Amino acid sequence: MRVAQFDQWAEKVVRGFASRTSRRSVFTLLGGLLAGAASVPLLPMARAADAEPGAADPNSGQAPPQDRGNPQDPGDPTKCDYWRYCAIDGSLCSCYGGSVNSCPPGTEMSPVTWIGTCRNPADERNYIISYNDCCGGVVWGRCACHNNQGDRPIVRPSANNDITWCFGTKSQSYTCSTAIILGAALAQK
Amino acid sequence: MAASAAAVGAALLGGPVRAADTAPAADDTPPGVLSAELAWQHWTLNCQGCHRPDGSGSPATAPGLAGTVARFLSVAGGREYLGRVPGVATSPLSDADLSEVMNWMLWRFDREHVPANFQPFTAAEIGELRRRPLRLEASQVRAELLKKADESAGP
Repeated sequence: MRVAQFDQWAEKVVRGFASRTSRRSVFTLLGGLLAGAASVPLLPMARAADAEPGAADPNSGQAPPQDRGNPQDPGDPTKCDYWRYCAIDGSLCSCYGGSVNSCPPGTEMSPVTWIGTCRNPADERNYIISYNDCCGGVVWGRCACHNNQGDRPIVRPSANNDITWCFGTKSQSYTCSTAIILGAALAQK
Repeated sequence: MAASAAAVGAALLGGPVRAADTAPAADDTPPGVLSAELAWQHWTLNCQGCHRPDGSGSPATAPGLAGTVARFLSVAGGREYLGRVPGVATSPLSDADLSEVMNWMLWRFDREHVPANFQPFTAAEIGELRRRPLRLEASQVRAELLKKADESAGP
């Protein structure tokens, strides 16, 4: 279509519209569109995707499940029965906007940590898990989880998981714990 | 084996594993160590939590090892100190396992300061040293030994 033809077609359409439509009806249409657009955000809709990953639902206090569907790493890191938590003692960072490997925003990961092993049900092998604490955030007390596999009495502090490991961080206030895999443990002979 | 363990770890982490956290290569076995992988595992489970993966330590928990720990071998009393510091002497590891961790640790964190004539720790030697653990005086002994090491190294 050449430019002249397009001009003729456009003029025809506009003139036809003007001959069939009053100014008042155009204003009515525009007003309706404006009012309708303003009401769209008020309609009920799922907002889970807007929330920070792992953040708790403000109404129920429950964190959304984080099962990533990884057959090598089965389970939900927001639940205490997740396999990496076999020796954790504290709150789960997955429930605070962090994850099993990372701290929530506004907290700092402790450079020193308590380390244990847990058996992965996917391959029935033991993995070395570092339970780095995240420090300096708000303490909400959500998703408390106390498992004590391999825990030793307080007289052996390096193998005791009751200790808050917020050393070497700006704040010594405990927020939650991660469970980071350091490697596969050697098979026991 | 080490590579496969690291690969599985990386797969589970969903990203690369930090080099200092991974098990050593099988061919990187220092003198006096039968299995570097086992020594690494013992270190990780019993020492790394406080001394940190790269051996840098922290003033609030445990002294740094990286670039320092083998300097004790070059001053009188330094070798004995390494077997008597509280973290070593009170470790739950057996004498044999502990001697291998010591030899691996010197190699891993301060290879350049290991003397050419270094004789690896044995289970019997560690067993004897750990029966006389240092207690509150450990930090003072450490400071004195490092001062001697500095003086013997010269300006």
